[in-house]
Amino acid sequence: MVGVTSETAHEPRSLPVESTSRGVRVTWWYTASAIVFFELILVLTWTATLVQGGLRTGPALALMVGGVIWCASTLPILLAYRHRSGEPAAVQWRTVLLPVLTSVAYGVLAFSLSGLWLLLVVPLAQALQLLDWPRTIRMRMVLGVTALLVCLWVLDANAVVAGSVDIASGYFPVGFISAALPVMTVLSLWWWDVLIALDRARVSEARLAATQERLSVATDVHDLQGHHLQVIALQLELTERLLRSDPDAALEQLRAARVSVDEARQGTRDLATRFRSVPLRDELANARDLLRAAGIAAETVVGADAHGAPASVFGPVIRETTTNVLRHGGGRHSTLRLERVGELWRYEISNDTDAAPASPTPAPLPSREGTGLDGLARRAEEVGGAVEIVRGETEFTVIVTVPVAEDTAR
Amino acid sequence: MTDAKIRVLIADDEGMIRSALAALLRLEGDIDVIAECSDGEQAVAEAERLLPDICLLDLEMPGLDGVEVAERLRRTISARCVIVTRHARPGVLRRALAAGVAGFLPKSREAGEVAAVIRQVAAGARYIDPEIAADALSDERCPLTNRELDVLRLGQHGETTAQIARALSLAPGTVRNHISIVLTKLHVDTRQQAVLMARERGWI
Repeated sequence: MVGVTSETAHEPRSLPVESTSRGVRVTWWYTASAIVFFELILVLTWTATLVQGGLRTGPALALMVGGVIWCASTLPILLAYRHRSGEPAAVQWRTVLLPVLTSVAYGVLAFSLSGLWLLLVVPLAQALQLLDWPRTIRMRMVLGVTALLVCLWVLDANAVVAGSVDIASGYFPVGFISAALPVMTVLSLWWWDVLIALDRARVSEARLAATQERLSVATDVHDLQGHHLQVIALQLELTERLLRSDPDAALEQLRAARVSVDEARQGTRDLATRFRSVPLRDELANARDLLRAAGIAAETVVGADAHGAPASVFGPVIRETTTNVLRHGGGRHSTLRLERVGELWRYEISNDTDAAPASPTPAPLPSREGTGLDGLARRAEEVGGAVEIVRGETEFTVIVTVPVAEDTAR
Repeated sequence: MTDAKIRVLIADDEGMIRSALAALLRLEGDIDVIAECSDGEQAVAEAERLLPDICLLDLEMPGLDGVEVAERLRRTISARCVIVTRHARPGVLRRALAAGVAGFLPKSREAGEVAAVIRQVAAGARYIDPEIAADALSDERCPLTNRELDVLRLGQHGETTAQIARALSLAPGTVRNHISIVLTKLHVDTRQQAVLMARERGWI
């Protein structure tokens, strides 16, 4: 859309393509906070269980504070995951090194305080899960790590049974949460990946639809132009042949060729503008802006329920009447009004005319002028409406009324 | 106007169209094409030298475009300007009317119609082609407020937020706010994209 030159025709309105939308961003924060929340729960469970098992306040506090620091240290890895480039190998070691070292340090601290092997390994295992691994490696890694954690759990169970660590009651939940954490994390990240893939698909689908629309317009333009050019070429060829023998017939062909050119132009224009439609309210606002730009004090009054008015009828009416006001100039004020009056849609446009009759009456243009108001009347009659023209002393008013259609009457 | 010929200046960067239109207009008894220019700068210079009655200006010209030429001429001479275009971009009619242009028509009109418009405009009337008016009326409405447009306009040549803020006597934070609202409304990522979009749609 950007950088379209004045050479190109109106582009068809294409679907808006938004990059990552707000919903996706919200889901990211949900996913990330869920992961951090799991980690915090884990730290709390460890501390609570070990306190139950007789850990003194000082070490318990150290375990807790260390745990919070560890949780915080995983945030940069999560953020790096969010903004990863899509290149699996591009793990940013600089952003990752500090969190990994923190995890190792916390593991060592937790092990030294509890004597549980599980606690030594879990922090690092979790930090590693958050890295941006290729999918197969991640799969193997999470299986391997979970197996290792289960083994350590069993190892620790021996210690508990042997009585060196007195946390028999809390042992099962601690082990379960610890061993399950990597799997939970990987599942969350997997869910996030799925969502991103879906979002990308949504965006590319919208782009594709826009491209297809353009392609189909291009094809239509090509067909149309091809057809008309062929006709024009034939007509010109005939002109060339007839020029000497029958100049009148040649002239006839030449005129026909000009008509063909006009048809081709009109057809192309219709194609280019077929997607263009704006709400009546906008059309009225555009009209007001144009009139104001032309130095006419214009006001619009749009009834609250005017959005139901048939745009196919009033659109051309607004265009025609606004053009008339613009063209006749002279006036200083204009009011456009669209509202519902009982069972009628009523559009009214009025402008003041010069008190003195427009000095040199502008010669009406050959073909296009004059048809304006008649065309309006015809169009209004087709839908059972009417056009009323009031030529006052100093004011000129056109009123178009159209009955409210049955299905929108209620 | 009845006895003297209407003196017309034509400016169009496409030579074929310019000379064909000039030749066709010269066939009309009451129109005299006194100058043919190939760009906006030349059109301004010639118009100021020759003082034509009517300037027939192509919208798309290198350098100054038709509306800019009309804007300049309005300040110096009394010639009335008619803009001719192949494809009226959104917003351009509004710009032209604000610049005091007296006529606006598509290039596809026949020379006879162009001559009729020239006569009408020379007689003091205004002529806006229905097709162009229809396009202008079915333009998308600009979703931005005047303030937001000011911010975009003042920043369109890469000015910093601080410069924009100073020009508008606003706090830099307010300007940043406006910009982020603009980006959201237009669904673009950078201010430059927003400026391009606004220019293309004729909003600034």
